[in-house]
Amino acid sequence: MNWLLDLMLVLLLAMPLLSGVVLVLLPDLTKSMVRVFSLLATLATFVLSLIGACFFDWSNPAALSFVKSVEWVGAFGLQFGFGVNAISMWLVLLTTFLMPLVVLGSFSAIQDRVKEFFLWLLILESAMLGVFVATDIVFFHICFEFTLIPLYFLIGIYGSAQRLKAARVFFLYTFTGSMLTFSGLLYVAWRCDWVFSIATLYELAPQRLSEIEQAWVMGAMLAGFAVKVPLFPLHTWLPLAHTEAPTAGSVILAGVLLKLGTYALLQLAIPIAPIAADQFAPIIGLLAVVGILYAALICWVQKDIKKLIAYSSVSHLGFCVLGMFAFNAEGMAGSVMYMINHGLSTGALFLCVGMIYERFHTRQMSQMQGLAQIMPVWSFFMVFFCLASVGLPGLNGFVGEFLTLLGAFRAKYVLGPPYAVMAGFGLIFAAIYILFMVGKVVFGPLKVPRVENGHCLSCDLNLREIVTLTPLAAGCLWLGLQPSFILDTLTEPLEKIVEHLPQRTAVAHYTVDYPRIEVRMHMPMAQATKHAGL
Amino acid sequence: MVVSELHSLVLSHFLFTGAVLFIFGLVGFLCRRNLIMMFLCTEMMFQGVVITLVGFSRFHGNLTGQTFVIFVLTVAAAEAALALGLVVLLFRRKRTLDPEAWGELQG
Amino acid sequence: MHIELAKWIPWIPAGAAVLCGLCAMKRQLRMASALICILAICATFGITVLISGSFSPNGNDPVKPRTVEVFDWISIWGQQVFSSRISAESYANENPGSKMIARDGTDGEKEFVVRKPIFVADFSYLLDSLTIVMLYVVTGVGALVAIYAAGYMAGDRGYARFFSAVCLFIFSMTTLVMADNLLLLFLGWEGVGLCSYLLIGYYYDKPTAVAAAKKAFVVNRIGDLGFLIGIFTAYIRYDTVVIHEMISTVSATMQNGATDWKDHLIPFMLMLGAFGKSAQLPLYVWLPDAMEGPTPVSALIHAATMVTAGVYLIVRLLPLFEISPYALPTVAVVGAVTALFAATIALCQYDIKRIYAYSTISQLGYMFLGVGFLSTAGGIFHLFTHAFFKALLFLTAGSVMHALAGQLDLRKMSGLRKKLPVTCWLMFAGCLALAGFPFTAGFFSKDMILAATFEKGINEQLILPNVMGVIGLLTALLTAFYAFRLWFRIFTGPEKYEMGAEHHGAEPDHGVRTSSSVQVEHVHDAHEVSWLMNAPLLVLACGALTAGFLGHEWIERMVVASTAEPARPPMMDEGVQLHGLMMVVSGVISVVGVMAAAYFHWLNRDATERFADRFVATVRVLTNKYYVDELYDAMIVRPLRVVGGIFYQVDRLVIDSLVMALGFLPRALGLAIQPSQRGALQGYGIGMAIGLVSIVVLVLMAIASGHNS
Repeated sequence: MNWLLDLMLVLLLAMPLLSGVVLVLLPDLTKSMVRVFSLLATLATFVLSLIGACFFDWSNPAALSFVKSVEWVGAFGLQFGFGVNAISMWLVLLTTFLMPLVVLGSFSAIQDRVKEFFLWLLILESAMLGVFVATDIVFFHICFEFTLIPLYFLIGIYGSAQRLKAARVFFLYTFTGSMLTFSGLLYVAWRCDWVFSIATLYELAPQRLSEIEQAWVMGAMLAGFAVKVPLFPLHTWLPLAHTEAPTAGSVILAGVLLKLGTYALLQLAIPIAPIAADQFAPIIGLLAVVGILYAALICWVQKDIKKLIAYSSVSHLGFCVLGMFAFNAEGMAGSVMYMINHGLSTGALFLCVGMIYERFHTRQMSQMQGLAQIMPVWSFFMVFFCLASVGLPGLNGFVGEFLTLLGAFRAKYVLGPPYAVMAGFGLIFAAIYILFMVGKVVFGPLKVPRVENGHCLSCDLNLREIVTLTPLAAGCLWLGLQPSFILDTLTEPLEKIVEHLPQRTAVAHYTVDYPRIEVRMHMPMAQATKHAGL
Repeated sequence: MVVSELHSLVLSHFLFTGAVLFIFGLVGFLCRRNLIMMFLCTEMMFQGVVITLVGFSRFHGNLTGQTFVIFVLTVAAAEAALALGLVVLLFRRKRTLDPEAWGELQG
Repeated sequence: MHIELAKWIPWIPAGAAVLCGLCAMKRQLRMASALICILAICATFGITVLISGSFSPNGNDPVKPRTVEVFDWISIWGQQVFSSRISAESYANENPGSKMIARDGTDGEKEFVVRKPIFVADFSYLLDSLTIVMLYVVTGVGALVAIYAAGYMAGDRGYARFFSAVCLFIFSMTTLVMADNLLLLFLGWEGVGLCSYLLIGYYYDKPTAVAAAKKAFVVNRIGDLGFLIGIFTAYIRYDTVVIHEMISTVSATMQNGATDWKDHLIPFMLMLGAFGKSAQLPLYVWLPDAMEGPTPVSALIHAATMVTAGVYLIVRLLPLFEISPYALPTVAVVGAVTALFAATIALCQYDIKRIYAYSTISQLGYMFLGVGFLSTAGGIFHLFTHAFFKALLFLTAGSVMHALAGQLDLRKMSGLRKKLPVTCWLMFAGCLALAGFPFTAGFFSKDMILAATFEKGINEQLILPNVMGVIGLLTALLTAFYAFRLWFRIFTGPEKYEMGAEHHGAEPDHGVRTSSSVQVEHVHDAHEVSWLMNAPLLVLACGALTAGFLGHEWIERMVVASTAEPARPPMMDEGVQLHGLMMVVSGVISVVGVMAAAYFHWLNRDATERFADRFVATVRVLTNKYYVDELYDAMIVRPLRVVGGIFYQVDRLVIDSLVMALGFLPRALGLAIQPSQRGALQGYGIGMAIGLVSIVVLVLMAIASGHNS
């Protein structure tokens, strides 16, 4: 058992990759065998990550568990450092949880070049997991970049009409940004005597980097991460890529890929350049708010369901960033919750839309209406996930939305009530555009597009599709009612992230007077008590 | 003795030989109108560099340069096999070895 | 202890909702869903009765509120790390609610972590006498409406879906009234909004129903944003969202008088939420449209329970409103103005259910008027009686619809007394109560509110309450008039009617089921409804007639024993007592209203036409509901959508092309230098050679200059 725990993360990373290799090597597989094999591989990865979660040290969620390093280029201090804290653990679980569902959801959608498709999916899973488990910046960056390649092919080969353009724009956009990021990261490493370990950089970088350097480094990191999030105005790749990608691609894009951006902002950008993060927060918060409202209004005029959901992601991720840059426990914990929740609900929405596309070969809202009459089960799921997406209390979306807004509202120095109130209008717009879409597609008099082969004019979801959606729905409900088992583990790692943020107490540029004590993270004080041996 | 004769060689001998070989190769590459000859000229440039490396290796008294030489020779051998094969293929296509014949390959 | 049973009150209907949902899958099980739903709601009613004994105040003993915890919901914990157990324990003792855990630190030594809550909102229920009153209304009316609906909805293909949503509604509504913190209250708040959405859009193949459902949800969301901001502000002000903790802080603040801007902001934001849910100006527009839903839904959700949530919210959080001197008067003014406003619209409508909808808005305004002038008992009492008579009115309207195949237009029915004798007199009872006819339920509750208003005005020598009281009296007159206008129009005069176009309860069925006795019957002619449907109406009618004098002392005691007791009660003893006088005045007003209605709509209908002709413009404005919908559409909805369109074009054309232009730069560069790379092998060679030579030359020059210096 010990060897398993020792190699846990290495195995986790290797599992999909090795399965991919096996998939390539096995000759003469039929399509369905390939599908089942990939399903089993992703399920095995999920089980492995569950085992990991069982042995994770939840009593000390800020510390890295399953630490392991594999020498790479020793002369330069490069290594593959593995390790997870609670935040990464949850995102690893999100990824491994989504993958089997994505594979299951693509059983019938992909009919050509099946083996290649699932191969890319498996490689992609490894790359994504790599981002979450990496503990040094070079390894992190390699995985961060490597996600682009499988997705490029997934979009470019299996997408719909404009897939080539979408793939190219997606690749160039994200790649250009992350080149700048990489230079920023290397600069940080250089200033810290070529240290690559993220944990060490947490301590060193804030001391070594001057205020100006931090601002530049922050700018460089934002160039890559904000594109990935995506933060207004760097979001224009997203609607195109989401819309043109095959369903599996959209689900992974929305479910995990966007979180790489927010995760990197949280785990790298803020702790490495804390002063700059503090200075940039009002601007980033403003961009987030503008993005929330801007994208929400755009959603309202969309004609393509998938594009609507894609733009809604831009709006939703705005909340995520807003909460993160509030730098208090509520906002940041809410932000992490939001990452997980958005992965579930928006991923599920993309799956739902994919099922419609498979049946009717169109995503235009004008061509279908009143599907509740012929597809009650699908309609149930669709409405359910839409409600989760608009943040109905009791479902998962609400927890993140509420906490991020609360955090932004309460943040004393960086953001404040105006930000939260403006972002709050996003909730109203969200209700408008989601219900607009539901009213058009699910409800209303029946209208179904003509399908040439006509084989599923009136067919509701089959068992496989129900099995795909049910875990997501259960997850939405469960996280909506019992979020505390995640929330409880978040504050401590988050404390570590904001540890080096400037502790402004008396003078503030935000001058509204709060009578209460700001319960800001007070880790330094805690350490002081600890060292004093009290 | 062979050894003493070798001792009379100084670094500049090696460098001169290497440079001559390299220049011959370069001029040949630029002037010949035959793919095979051009290829052989590049090989000649290789050898020029290799001799320089050996010379420096001797001069510094360590084996780093010679190690490189082994690598270069290995690569050159592999490359020669590949390149000649390619040249043969090209010849089959156009029945000529003139490089200008392939000038329509535009980026 | 049986109080613990209270934690099941929301969850029994929740389970029933799931069961009903599963029943929807199998056609044979659809009928079972009604039974499940009725049983579940009756069970919650039973539990309410069981526990209510513990919360009835006897004499002057204050009844202690009880908190029942169910499970943790959203909580954020902060932590401190200590290296010794003693300091950790002392820190934990200083901070109530904190927990200490020991663990191995990163340096291998034992360390002690004290975790204390920063933000806590759990699933726990607050039980006090106010909750009990609300539970009685919700579960009692809920059970009766469910029984009625079992008959009314028979034969509908969405039968199970309907009952599932009703159960979910009962879950949300009971959660709302039992919540012990604002966030849980918000869960119920949004939950009832969702059920309202689902049930308004119940006939989802009708575009108007879908639009109405969307409108209800979105307008409510506007109020909910206010509510949410109220919660945020309350949290930064009081450091908690738990209701009784907030209230105790407020009481302390009120004593030392240290208020700040947040104390004023909180009530106004919460008020916005209350006005959205309770359909007050300016957010009332969704309620009339909500009548697209099935009639039992209109009775339960849009008359008796959900729409009163706003009143409940203010009463529950009364201290938070009292602390700001502007909050409650605002509530009262908005309430009074809405009452009058909606009553005038109701005068000129022809759709039965819409008349009742405007009437509901108007009566809710009454409740706010009462609460606003600190007559919380009056407000809740009116809520209580209104639940009876308005549910009765809606359900009888449903019976009329049922009889006339969905006909709702007053102009297309007349003299139905013979055809629908039971419905006729049941509705008569409801109308009497609505009109505040002496000794009916509405009479007592309206009297309580108006008396409190005038007493406040006279005793404290304020003009505002008196003006509002006059508006209230005027509204009472209009109410009596429109209530009986409707009744006389339907049941008196020559017997003539047109059947409606649709068969409610038998929506386009795609050939699924056709054999329902009810349905087959009503296709032929107007008919009285079955006793399954009339029995609950009888109960409601009894309530509408008698709840007034039976209930008013009980309610008053229950409300005053809860958090809703005004901290600064109106001067009861010293000032004038107006109850007697008010009874006479409002009784007379109501009789006058009924008489006027009888004259114009029974005895002399032609006079109405002539009368209306004289005020064409007014009537047109009233018929078109003051053009508020059009105004909102032109001022808010359309501009926003246009902005959305503009943003989309900006996104596509400006931002995207900017990025594309950046992407074009390398391409342009490539095009510029492309000619040099046309495949001339020896050309490349020359280039390389020149490059090489120039590097060598440069290096040599550098070395040479190095030697020179």
